[in-house]
Amino acid sequence: MSGKLWAVVRREYLERVRSKAFIIATLLVPVLMSGMMVVPFFAMRAGGKLLRVAVLDASGSFQTEIEETLRRARFDDKPRFDVRPPGGGTLAERERRLKEAVVAGRLDGYLHLPKDVIESSAASYFGRTVSNRMDLGVLERQVGEVIVSRRLSAAGIDPGEVKGLTRGLDLRTVRLSDAGEKEDRGAAVLVSIILLMILYTSILMWGQLVMTSIIEEKTSRVIEVVASGVPPTQILAGKLLGVGGAGLTQFLVWSVSLLGVSIVAAGPLAGSIPLPDLGLLVLGSFVVFFLLGFAFYASLYASIGAAVNTVQEAQNFVFPVIIPLVLGLMCFPVVLESPDGGLAVALSLVPFLTPLLMFLRIAVLTPPAWQIALSVILLGAAIVGVLFVAGRIYRVGILMYGKKPTFPELMRWVRHI
Amino acid sequence: MSEFALRLDGVSKAFAGHAAVRDLTLTVPRGGVFGLLGPNGAGKTTTLRMVMDILGADAGEIEILGRPADQAARDRVGYMPEERGLYPRMELEEQLVFMAQIKGLSRKEALARLGPWLERLSLAEWRKRKTNELSKGMQQKAQFIATVLHEPELLIMDEPMSGLDPVGTDVMREVMLDLSRRGATIVLSSHQMDTVERLCARVALLNRGQKVLDGAVAEVKARHGKNTAVLAFEGDGAFLASLPGVARVSDFGRYVEIRMTEGADPQAILAAAASRLRIRRFEIVEPSLHDIFVETVTRHGEEAA
Repeated sequence: MSGKLWAVVRREYLERVRSKAFIIATLLVPVLMSGMMVVPFFAMRAGGKLLRVAVLDASGSFQTEIEETLRRARFDDKPRFDVRPPGGGTLAERERRLKEAVVAGRLDGYLHLPKDVIESSAASYFGRTVSNRMDLGVLERQVGEVIVSRRLSAAGIDPGEVKGLTRGLDLRTVRLSDAGEKEDRGAAVLVSIILLMILYTSILMWGQLVMTSIIEEKTSRVIEVVASGVPPTQILAGKLLGVGGAGLTQFLVWSVSLLGVSIVAAGPLAGSIPLPDLGLLVLGSFVVFFLLGFAFYASLYASIGAAVNTVQEAQNFVFPVIIPLVLGLMCFPVVLESPDGGLAVALSLVPFLTPLLMFLRIAVLTPPAWQIALSVILLGAAIVGVLFVAGRIYRVGILMYGKKPTFPELMRWVRHI
Repeated sequence: MSEFALRLDGVSKAFAGHAAVRDLTLTVPRGGVFGLLGPNGAGKTTTLRMVMDILGADAGEIEILGRPADQAARDRVGYMPEERGLYPRMELEEQLVFMAQIKGLSRKEALARLGPWLERLSLAEWRKRKTNELSKGMQQKAQFIATVLHEPELLIMDEPMSGLDPVGTDVMREVMLDLSRRGATIVLSSHQMDTVERLCARVALLNRGQKVLDGAVAEVKARHGKNTAVLAFEGDGAFLASLPGVARVSDFGRYVEIRMTEGADPQAILAAAASRLRIRRFEIVEPSLHDIFVETVTRHGEEAA
């Protein structure tokens, strides 16, 4: 690498890496991510607060049984309900007092079973909050079982026997690959989608950064000085390499700190934290497709930055650049549904969709090597084309001030120098 | 070693149908200070940008320091554009080292050379400060260091004095003359005639993209003859312009410059003036560059029209 190109790369890299935004994002994300992994675990272990409930049984035949059932109810091996007595008096009086208790905060809620609960199979829960879906789910299931058992008994069937006979299927999903078999209950797909989102955000963010830095160079007029020493194509190349390098650095810091967290966590919390279980292929392709996607989209962003005078002006041009990237993100359910299907294969070979979709396919499936190679070659060719156009626009645009160029004018810049 | 620091041959450049520079042929000999003059829009900046290959010429050839203009040749040139520009959030030292690096200097070498320059332009204590913390004048000086740190043999400066205070102007002129004495060639563009007159040994005048005049300053002045009189007086001098033998009167407030027609008798003009004004000074002088500039541009404009 020539000394000049290296100087540009170094300058770009250091400017990014030393910026406050970079330092904050680089440090904060691992903290947030490890928080997301560790906090739910401790929250679960702590068990949370018991839900104070009462049962108001209008039919009069379930009161004790349901209270007992709720007391026994467990979620993740921990009791969930603190069952309170409904008090005495008529039904209406009891209901009025329960309502008062709920509103006053002495009680979290009460379950109202109507007279005909066996026939109608309908009940109501009145509570200060009803957004605690998990607890309410447990409550619904437990009470439902009691009512079903009662119906079965009435029909002369043994509920215990029925329960044994109607046990559902527990489907274990195992992913087979060259590396062997691995039990996977959806965690891999979840991790793939998270990685996809990070990939999408990173390409977008770093690409946009290239654009704003070019606009800044135009605004501060420093570009003319730099262009007198370094050919514009080399400035552009140096910029892409420097900014891309800063992006890689961020990923590196994130990976290392996540690895650190998982090693620390592996001791006391072994097995209880869903650590992302990623192969080298997935991580490697994440880096490769970040770099390729960045090169492609950042070149487009660079042309915009060179063509306009202010960030505000850039907004109109940015839209058509973001669309293909968003399109890639929107296609991900199609790819997940059938990662090896014709549509998914075709989409992942479209250069501007490749960075996101081929990565996703690799994350969930390991596609044939020729498809990966072909997608990289096609994307590589597209990058060369985009770089050529961007270089032309950049060369002319960096010295153009004043009126924002129209699209035909941009095309003229590309055609001749 | 070629005797020319810069040679342009038939260089043209048009923007969207408008000719900014037309068939420009120009030679700048080695050594000394060369002034590229011209009114706004004459094509000075476009010409200098073509020399630096920031703009591509439509036609013509450019030679720098005796070789076809390529990047290697341009690395021996220091270029200070009209629109000054530095990275606002970079430390001064980093900034200047970077600027030298993109001219082919190593980091080590650039750092070693930086100290004396910062001392000389009294920026040493600002070395580790960000550029946007520097005053406008300090940024100008920093820009100048960025232009000369790689010790160029040819310095191209577009309006180097604009925006400088008198002290800054003096420092800049001193440094420029010093560099010139040590063998560097300096090409500066300007429309500040007094600067040019004091600094430049040779000039070229551009108007509407064409060269209308060039040569050594003394020669140019001699060519325009000793047909200018400086007159300082008390009273209303409005009638002077209509005296026989007077081509043009430029009023400078404290005195007027009278451009005489060919063959006019200065004595007759003095006599006519003395009959109606109280004369404090009357002197036959060489025309100022300012005058030659205005006259040539006006004449050229009329011819073109």
